[in-house]
Amino acid sequence: MSLWVDKYRPTSLGKLDYHKEQATQLKNLVQCGDFPHLLVYGPSGAGKKTRIMCLLRELYGAGVEKLRIEHQTIVAPSKKKIEINTIASNYHLEVNPSDAGNQDRVVIQELIKTVAQSQQIQSSTQREFKVVLLTEVDRLTKDAQHALRRTMEKYMGTCRLILCSTSTSKVIGPIRSRCLAIRVPLPSTEDVCSVLTAVCKKEGLLLPPELAKRISEKSDRNLRKALLMCEACRVQQYPFSVDQEVPETDWEVYLRETANAIVSQQSPQRLLEVRARLYELLTHCIPPEIIMKGLVTELLSNCDGQLKTEVAHMAAYYEHRLQLGSKAIYHLEAFTAKFMAIYKKFMEDGLDAMMF
Amino acid sequence: MDEYDELFEIQDDFEEQFADELEVLAQMEEESSKPGKRQTQGPGDDISDIEHLLDDQPITPKAKRQKQDAGVAKRLFSTSQTQVSKAPSHGDDITPPSSPEQYEPSHTLRPTPAALDISGFGMIPETPRRPPTEAPASLHVLKRPPLEGEYISVTNSLGSRVYLRQKEDTGTKVVDSRMVPNSFGSLGLLAVPISVLRQQEAERRHQQVVEESQRLTELLASSVNDVLPEREDEENEDPEDTEGRTSRLWVDRFSPRHYTELLSDDFTNRCLLKWLKLWDTVVFGRERKSRPARSDRQPLNQNPSKPNQGNQNPNRFKTKIEMTEELLEAELDQYKRPKFKVALLSGPPGLGKTTLAHVIAKHAGYNVVEINASDDRSAEVFQKRIDTATQMKSVLGANEKPNCLIIDEIDGAPAAAINILLATLNRKDGHSAEGGAETSKKKKKKESILLRPIICICNDLYVPALRPLRQQAFLLSFPQTQPSRLTQRLAEISLQQGMKADTGTLMSLCEKTDNDIRSCINTLQFLHGRGHKQVDTKTIQCISVGQKDQNKGLFHLWQEIFQLPRTKRKRVGEGFEEAPGSGGGAQRFQHILHLASSGGEYEKVSQGLYDNYLSMRVRDPNLHSVCDALDWLSFSDRLNQVILHGQNFSLMRYLPFLPVTFHFLFAHTHVPRISYPHSQHEASSRLLSNRNALSSMLADIPACIRTRISQLSLTLDILTLLLNIICPKLRPVNPQLFSSREKEQMRELIDTMLAYNLSYRQDRTPEGQYTYVLEPRVEEVVRFPGLPPHRQLTYQAKQTISREMEQERMRRAEQLMLQRNPAVMQKEEDKKTTGPKPTRNHQQRLENIVKQTTVETRPELDFFGRAVAPKPQRPQPSSDTGEKCAVLAMGKAVGNSDVWFRFNEGMSNAVRRNVYIRELL
Repeated sequence: MSLWVDKYRPTSLGKLDYHKEQATQLKNLVQCGDFPHLLVYGPSGAGKKTRIMCLLRELYGAGVEKLRIEHQTIVAPSKKKIEINTIASNYHLEVNPSDAGNQDRVVIQELIKTVAQSQQIQSSTQREFKVVLLTEVDRLTKDAQHALRRTMEKYMGTCRLILCSTSTSKVIGPIRSRCLAIRVPLPSTEDVCSVLTAVCKKEGLLLPPELAKRISEKSDRNLRKALLMCEACRVQQYPFSVDQEVPETDWEVYLRETANAIVSQQSPQRLLEVRARLYELLTHCIPPEIIMKGLVTELLSNCDGQLKTEVAHMAAYYEHRLQLGSKAIYHLEAFTAKFMAIYKKFMEDGLDAMMF
Repeated sequence: MDEYDELFEIQDDFEEQFADELEVLAQMEEESSKPGKRQTQGPGDDISDIEHLLDDQPITPKAKRQKQDAGVAKRLFSTSQTQVSKAPSHGDDITPPSSPEQYEPSHTLRPTPAALDISGFGMIPETPRRPPTEAPASLHVLKRPPLEGEYISVTNSLGSRVYLRQKEDTGTKVVDSRMVPNSFGSLGLLAVPISVLRQQEAERRHQQVVEESQRLTELLASSVNDVLPEREDEENEDPEDTEGRTSRLWVDRFSPRHYTELLSDDFTNRCLLKWLKLWDTVVFGRERKSRPARSDRQPLNQNPSKPNQGNQNPNRFKTKIEMTEELLEAELDQYKRPKFKVALLSGPPGLGKTTLAHVIAKHAGYNVVEINASDDRSAEVFQKRIDTATQMKSVLGANEKPNCLIIDEIDGAPAAAINILLATLNRKDGHSAEGGAETSKKKKKKESILLRPIICICNDLYVPALRPLRQQAFLLSFPQTQPSRLTQRLAEISLQQGMKADTGTLMSLCEKTDNDIRSCINTLQFLHGRGHKQVDTKTIQCISVGQKDQNKGLFHLWQEIFQLPRTKRKRVGEGFEEAPGSGGGAQRFQHILHLASSGGEYEKVSQGLYDNYLSMRVRDPNLHSVCDALDWLSFSDRLNQVILHGQNFSLMRYLPFLPVTFHFLFAHTHVPRISYPHSQHEASSRLLSNRNALSSMLADIPACIRTRISQLSLTLDILTLLLNIICPKLRPVNPQLFSSREKEQMRELIDTMLAYNLSYRQDRTPEGQYTYVLEPRVEEVVRFPGLPPHRQLTYQAKQTISREMEQERMRRAEQLMLQRNPAVMQKEEDKKTTGPKPTRNHQQRLENIVKQTTVETRPELDFFGRAVAPKPQRPQPSSDTGEKCAVLAMGKAVGNSDVWFRFNEGMSNAVRRNVYIRELL
């Protein structure tokens, strides 16, 4: 437990640093003894998982923190064996069904059934239900989500589901309607700064508020990233200086350079270079949506105000196609080419206007 | 054995002829002078002048008969046999004389004049080389009565008796039926009453006439030079066989029967023939003598040889000839087999590969055994069939020639079958390694090695299953059939079938079918069947019959897409249509659409388009066509997704439009340089390896941390920063000298690395330097090329860290163990640290020492130094209490230290103490 992220993670609802109102609401929810299925969503690094674990602790006590990893093998109807790792305590089970790829439906059905079919022995002292925590629900296939619908209702008596996802847009309606949706927004810059300062204080370090602010901005208010950045800064140089360089993740730098390359020249050759860079990003396990988003953000900051709506429109259009299709590189490149065309035309028009 | 020896002589002579095969081919036109020479070269025996007459005046057999009148009955029979076998060769004078079948006449004839040569009589039927193709049964002269059919026994003056089959004779009569009465009349010395002969003849006449005439017409169709002599024959027979000809495919009817009729490329034919001849040494036991000398002569002779066969530029082959020559002249192996045991013919369908293999195998005197895709080619059956074909030989009936195995359509065979074939090729002989061609007995012993040629035929040489075979085979790829030759053949066929078609029409037919012989002839027959007696270019253009699903290579397809078709030169005097792709937009559209949809591999095709379209030379300053292309690509991607996920295959019909779009967007007149699309595959394999690195990292992260991180957050947020965090600045000194703050830092670092399942592993670079690399290799996952490198720890620092980590691991392991079984820990530790095996001994000894010192009273020892009486009462067994008191007592004795000393001669473990890991680290 030596990374600050892990070391100073709050473990109970009462100790949460921000969104305290929501924390008390959750506490009230649990205290009345029962709760519906939950759908916790919010951007990455906002503290969804932390909140869920705090909730479970509130529910079951410290026993939930005794975790173990279990390797489970599930045989699909097609006789294919699916191996999946689950993290479990005596009271709950955590699965990331998207690990199973296309077979996630089988995983969901089997796991939830096995959990739900066994009753708690001492229902007097304990809750009478277990909790199944499904992470990355937005990456579930539609099949699996539909499989979830019925299961959620059928085993309501013995198990509760907590679904964790970054956005609800990929969760089908029926599931959303069966769950109590809890949105965990990103902490504000001030929240991040205060957390950073508090952590540094506990570590016996002195963090200049300016640096804290810079870190929180650079991390896009992603608290996990902010803490890691802070620690990396600490490793890089202590005592902190105000204008210290804050380390960044490589892929963001690379993506920014890619965007610059697109803006600086528009030609098929450049497109070919950009393609190589996009491939590079994709092969480093960066999801195409995030590449698209990063690209658009960078490009928008680079182009003229008149173009922004059109670029955003194009981005939305190709992002949608990206979601529908399977070969991300086509759609990313299509967006790039489109942007190049629009941008080039705009620049040439501008030049013409200047000439006359 | 003497039979064989004799055979060898004869065959040697023949070998010479075989070697001269091409010369003979070259001089085919001067047939009239040639036969005489041929005869003199023949097996050194006395040949009657009949043969000359036969050859010189092929159309007047009467004369021959009359000259023969001095002979005995035997003689008549054998001459008439000669007639049988001669008849076809009269029909086509262009047949290369070197083929054994063509030489058969002289074989059979030879013993006849030397009537007393009885051993010769016996020998001939047993000759393995005697090729009996022309008649259903070829045993004319037998030592025993034949099993079936009527026969005549003949006894010569020495009293030895031979049997002659009657059946053959009647067949003979059919051919030259016109002259039979004459000859009989003049001879008057018949062994068999003429009534018998006539009766038999009458019985079989009908079918035989049909068959014979068919053959003749085919011969007519194929022979180019001398159509005229046969024309009469053909016309004579024509009305009789109309029923027979409607039912047969023209392709079969007009397929070449002889070497010279082959339409395929001469060079290929010759190469295959030569390769097959290399087997003669082992199969027929002939020496190949004249070979080296001939190789120089051959090209010279070849050039003037076939001006009429469409071989316009013979010089083109010269280098190729030399190359293949070299290949073919390679030394035979220890079993006198050629270096390549298998010939692999490859080429698109309809070029006559199978026909070539059959014809050549027959020509070289083999019995053809064919395995093709219609046979069961599972491993066991295949093995059996190969063995049967290569190791056995039919002893009954007609096919007593050695087998030549032809494996057709081998590209469809399962890999297991091909492996079996390879195993057969590489089989080593268990017996002595001496050349096995000396005697027949020796051959039979060595059944295990392959002694027969195998010819494999495939369309696609690059099927994965064929890869191992490719290296061991004599590869022959078929070039396109020359359209001029094909046209000529088509003209003959149509002429013969009474269709009117001019050369231009036929040319365009060839063009349309890509010079596919089969397709051309089929189309002609189709038109004929439809009642078209007059075929012109327009009809050919309109029908869609000749179109087949061409399966061109991917590169070809890509090239077609990216290249604008060149308008072909109009040929003079021929109303030649433009190539299918060259016309206007609509035509090009159809052309590409057809190509793409018949190709089928849409995924690969679009991948290739995607990888290559940006490097095409297209002026596109506004990037509009690029945008269009990408829109199409993403459209087809969506289409694919819908097709695959919804199993909605009816949408597949829209896929081939993508190539069409690309054609119109990017086609250029330049020849495109197309590279095979690797990018997608590379990307996916790299993605996979990165994913694996991540999941191997995640696998061993303890659960409490594991629950907080996912693969995604690891790549997006954690990993880069984590790698920064685990590279702190460390003073390059011994960790013992660290300040407390530095020690704390080090401890945290190690903690982090252990928590995230990272470690350093010593590795050796190819240059021999040692480095520490982070394991699992997640560095590659987050580092990007072209970015400023991150700070790296020095080798020493990494070494220190890795050492410290090892220690920490051990410490933790110990702790874990202590936690698990705190009760036994004390004892366990002792045993662990002092080593598992010797502990008992040492402790016993120590205890002995202790006892000696504490008790003072030395216990009595027996001869071996063991305590005798009081010892067993002592709590010697390893119970805790016993040990403890021993320890206690020991402590008293040696003072309050746990170091003991005992002199131990010749041993290094004299000083001993209990050490715990926690004390060391």
